[in-house]
Amino acid sequence: MAMNAEYTPLFRARGITKIYHPGTETEVRALDGVDLDLYEGELAVLLGASGSGKSTLLNILGGLDVPTDGTLSYRDEELTGAGERELTLFRRNVAGFVFQFYNLIPSLTARENVALITEIAPDPMEPEEALGLVGLSDRMDHFPSQLSGGQQQRVAIARAIAKRPEVLLCDEPTGALDVHTGITVLEAIERVNRELGTLAVIITHNAAIAAMADRVLSLSAGRILSIHSNEKRAPVNTLSW
Amino acid sequence: MLDLKLLRDIRGMKGQMTAIALVMACGLTLMIMSRGLLLSLETTKNSYYTESRFADLFCDLKRAPLFLEPALAMIDGVAQVETSVRGAIILDIPGMKEPADGFVHSLPEGRPRRLNRIHLRSGRLPEAGNRDEILVSDSFAKAHGFRPGDAIDATVYGVRRSFRICGVAISPEYVYEIRPGGMMPDPERFGVFWMSERELSRALGLEGAFNSVAFRLAPGADAEMVKADIDRLLEPYGGLSAYDRERHVSAKLMEDEVAQLRVFSVAFPVVFLSIAAFMVSAALTRLVKLQREQIAQMKAFGYSGFSVASHYVKFAFVPVVAATLLSGTLGMWAAHAFIGLYQRFFNFPALIFRPDWSALLVALLASGLVSFLGVLGAVRQAASLPPAEAMRPEAPADYSPSFLEKAGLHRLVQPSFRIALRNLERKPWQAFFTALGLALAAAIPVLPGAMADGVDYLVDFQWNMAMRQDAVVTFIEPSGGEALLSLSRFPGVLYAEPFRAVPVRLFNGHRERTAAITGMPAAPRLNRLLDSQERVVPVPGSGLLLSEKLAEVLDLSPGDEIRMEVREGRRPVLATFLSGTITDFTGVGAYMEIEGLRRLLGEGTTASGAYLQVDSLYWDEFWRRVKETPRIGSVTTTAGARESFSKTTEEMMGVSQMLYLVFSLIVSFGVIYNGARIALSERSRSLATLRVLGFTRREVTTILLSELGLLTLLSIGPGLLLGTWMAKSILESVDTETMRFPLILGARTYVVAVLTVFVSTVFSFVVVGRRIAGLDLLAVLKSAE
Ligand SMILES: Nc1ncnc2c1ncn2[C@@H]1O[C@H](COP(=O)(O)OP(=O)(O)OP(=O)(O)O)[C@@H](O)[C@H]1O
Ligand SMILES: [Mg+2]
Repeated sequence: MAMNAEYTPLFRARGITKIYHPGTETEVRALDGVDLDLYEGELAVLLGASGSGKSTLLNILGGLDVPTDGTLSYRDEELTGAGERELTLFRRNVAGFVFQFYNLIPSLTARENVALITEIAPDPMEPEEALGLVGLSDRMDHFPSQLSGGQQQRVAIARAIAKRPEVLLCDEPTGALDVHTGITVLEAIERVNRELGTLAVIITHNAAIAAMADRVLSLSAGRILSIHSNEKRAPVNTLSW
Repeated sequence: MLDLKLLRDIRGMKGQMTAIALVMACGLTLMIMSRGLLLSLETTKNSYYTESRFADLFCDLKRAPLFLEPALAMIDGVAQVETSVRGAIILDIPGMKEPADGFVHSLPEGRPRRLNRIHLRSGRLPEAGNRDEILVSDSFAKAHGFRPGDAIDATVYGVRRSFRICGVAISPEYVYEIRPGGMMPDPERFGVFWMSERELSRALGLEGAFNSVAFRLAPGADAEMVKADIDRLLEPYGGLSAYDRERHVSAKLMEDEVAQLRVFSVAFPVVFLSIAAFMVSAALTRLVKLQREQIAQMKAFGYSGFSVASHYVKFAFVPVVAATLLSGTLGMWAAHAFIGLYQRFFNFPALIFRPDWSALLVALLASGLVSFLGVLGAVRQAASLPPAEAMRPEAPADYSPSFLEKAGLHRLVQPSFRIALRNLERKPWQAFFTALGLALAAAIPVLPGAMADGVDYLVDFQWNMAMRQDAVVTFIEPSGGEALLSLSRFPGVLYAEPFRAVPVRLFNGHRERTAAITGMPAAPRLNRLLDSQERVVPVPGSGLLLSEKLAEVLDLSPGDEIRMEVREGRRPVLATFLSGTITDFTGVGAYMEIEGLRRLLGEGTTASGAYLQVDSLYWDEFWRRVKETPRIGSVTTTAGARESFSKTTEEMMGVSQMLYLVFSLIVSFGVIYNGARIALSERSRSLATLRVLGFTRREVTTILLSELGLLTLLSIGPGLLLGTWMAKSILESVDTETMRFPLILGARTYVVAVLTVFVSTVFSFVVVGRRIAGLDLLAVLKSAE
C-alpha cells in the first residue's frame, strides 16, 4: 500500500533526540532531532551505517527507551512523558517485536512461546494460527534448541504477530540468517503486513531489502538523511543479496 | 590480576556470599558454642571431682555402728571410705510463709573429709564444740541473701532451734542441687547444709553410728562386685542399694547435659554446613557458567588450569573465612552467655568459660572442606574447559519432553507457569537441594515449639490433672494413724490422703532397679495416677503399677512377674506382678494399694506422709502450724513446684528457642535468596525479553519466583514432617529415668514453622524483585545468548 498523505500518521515523532551520558566526556548523540511520521499499514525499511542510531530509534518507537528530547505520539497518545506502566502496556497491546537474536524462551516450545503472549493480549489469535502464518505448523511442539535459526526467527515473528499488533518492529530480523532463510523470514513479515494491515518497520544493513518497502528511511549520524518512496513494492522472493 | 578480578566478582555476589556465610555461621556458631561449653564444663567438672575427691560409689542406710567402717574399707576394690550422717532439715525463713527444706550432712571434726570434700565460698567451717554453727549451700544462701553470721531457725529431727551460719559452701555431691524426685533446682525452697559430725549425730540420734557412706574405688576395681559386697555388708543395717555416679542425681544430670552438648556440637553443624555446601556449589557452578568466556580468555592468556581452579576455590573460601570469624565471635559470646546461665544452675568453685580455640580451627577446616566439596564440580569444570570450547556459549539444556510432560500435566497450567515446571524438571538435583534446605528451615522451628508445648503439657498433666493436692507433707519417720488425724485437723486442711513410701529393689531376671514404692488408697482423690490418655488408673488390690519408663527399663509387660525386695523395716521379699503402667515425666515410681503395703511391712496404719487439700484462705495459719510441728520432715506445695519448674525451664529454654528461630530464619532466607539469585542470573535474558514483550514487572517476578514458590510450597509438608521427626528423636535422646518430655505438636508450632519460611521467602523475594526492576531490557537485545 502506498503512502497516502491524507492518512493521519500512527507515529508522529518531532525533534527526537537521544543523548547517552549527557554532559560527560563520553557523551554520544545517538539521535539528533528526528522528525518522522509512520502510517497505518505501511512497510518501512530503515537503512543506515552501524552506529547511525537505527536501533535507538526503533526502541524509542516501541516504548523500550525514552528520548532525551523531542515528542513522540502514537495515535492520540503522548508517548514521551509516559510512565513505565503506560510504556509496558503499549508494548503489550500495540507493538510487536522481532530481534536479531530471536530472544525465545528456551524452556518453552514454539507453540508455548507464542501462547505466552496470547495469554496476556486482549484480542489474540490462536498460537497455531500465528505459527501457520509463518509456515511452522509442523514444528509447533519443538523447543527452540531443536529449531534452525530461520525457524526460530519465524517463531519470534509468530510471537510478535499473534496478538494482532498494530505495529511490528523488526531489528535486523535477517542479520544472523543466510539469504534463503532470510527471505522466508521477510516473506512472513510481508505477509503479516499485507494480510493484517500491520505497520511494519524493518531495520537492515542490507540495501537489497529496501526494494520490498513502501518507504525507505536512511539514517546517518542520528539524523534522517532521506526518505524514499518506492513506486511499487518488489515481491520478496525476487530479492537477493 | 586474578585477585583483582576476585575482588570485583565478590562484590558482585556479595548478597549470595553473605547468605552462604550466614548459613555456615549458624552451624559453626553452634559448634563453637557447644564445644566451648563442653570444654568448660568437662574440665571444670573433672578437676572439681578430682580436687574434691568425689566418690565413686554411694550407699544410704538406716543406721550402722561406726566400727563397721574398717570392714567396709577392707572390701576388695575399695580404696577409701567415708562415713557420715545425714538427715532432713526444715527451715523457717523470715519473710517466707512456707517453710524451706533440705538435707543436712555431717562434717568430720579436726580433719577434712576424705571424700566429697566441701569447698568454702565464704566464712569458715563449723568449729568443734560449737553446737549451733551451720554451713549453708551457696545457691540457698544466694537465694535468700544469707551471709556468715546470720541466724537461721530450723527443725532437725523434730527439734526446732536457732543456728548461726558460719559459712557458705558447695559440694561435689550437689553440683546440681535438686530435691530428690524434683525436676529443677528450687534454691528458695530447697537447700543443703552441713554441721559438725558430733553435733548432727546427736541431733539425729545417731551417736556412734552412720547412715550414709561413700567409697572411692581402687584402680581397676570391679564396681559391680564392690556394690554387691557393700549391699551384703550393710544389709543388716537397713542398707538401701549401693549406687554409682550413673545413678547419682547430680552427677547424672551433669552427664546428661554434657552428652547433649556433645550431640549438639556435631549434629547441628553437619546439617547447616551441608546446606551451605550446596549453596556454594550452586552459586559457583552458576558463576563458572557465566564466566565461561573469561575462563577461556584466562586460559588463552596462558593461565594454567590449576591457577584457574584455585581462583574459584579462593572464591569459595571468602565465605568460609567470613563465617569462621563471625561464628567465632558469636559462638564465644553465646557460650559466655550460657556459662552465665550454667553458673546459676551448676555449683562449681569456679565455672569459667574456657574458649575452645581448636573449635575455631575445626570450624575453619570443616567449612573449608565443605566449600571445597561444594565448589569441586564447578572448579573441575572451569579448569578442564578447553579455551576454544569455552569461547562458545554453553550448549542449550535438553528440553525434550519429560515424564511429567508426557503425563499431560503441563496442559493444565499456563505457559508462564510451565517455565517454572520445566526448570524444576530439568534440574532435579538443584531443585532437590533447594527444597531440602527449605524443608530444614521449616523443620528447625518445630523443635523449640514442640519443647515449649511439651513443657506446658507436662506442667498441666503433672500439676493439674494428676496432682490434685495443694501440698505434700512427709513425716520425719513413718507415723501412725494419729499423725494423719492431727494433720487433717490443721487449719484449712479440707482433706488429707495418706501415703506410705518405702525404698525397694525390683528385679526381672538380671534386670534390676532401685525405686520407691508408694502405697496409696485404691481410689485416690488427690494424688491420682494417670495413663497416657489422661485417664485415671485405679490402684490395684494386687500387683504393682509402674511408671512406663520403669517397666521399659525392667523389660516388663502387664502380667509379668516381678521380684520385689523391700529395703526397710523387716525387709520382706515377695513375688508379685505388673498389673499396669502409668504415665509420668519425672523420676520413676512404683505404686500399690496402701493396705497391702502395710500388711507386707507388718504395720498397722502407718503413713510416710500425706497429700493435703488446703483451703487457700487458711494458708497463713496452716504454715504456722506446720512450722510448729516437729514431726514434719518436709512440705512442698504443688503451686510452688509448678512455678519453679516453669520459671527455670523458661530461663533455660528461652535462649535456645531464640537461637533456633533466628537460625531457621537465616537458613530459609539464605537458601531462598541464593536460589532466587541463581534463577535470576540464569533467566535474566528470558525475563528481560518478557519485559520487552510487554509483561509487567509483577508478572515477570511471578514467573521467576513461582519456581521457588512452588519449591517452598512443596518443601513445607516434608519440612514439617522432618521437624516432627527431629523433635521426636531429640526428645527420645533426653528420655531418661530422671526426666522425660512429652511430644506435643500443637498447631501453633506448625504455624510458626510455616510462617518462618514464608517470612523469609517474602523477604528474599522482595530483595530479588528489586533487582528485576533494575534489569537492563536493551542489553539482552544486543547480544546473543
Ligand atoms: N547504552 C548505550 N550507552 C552509550 N552509548 C550507546 C548506548 N547504546 C547505543 N549507544 C550509541 O548510540 C549510537 C547509536 O547506536 P544504535 O545501537 O542505535 O546504532 P545502530 O544504528 O543500531 O547500529 P548497528 O547497525 O550497529 O546496530 C552508537 O554510537 C552507540 O555507540
Ligand atoms: Mg542496531
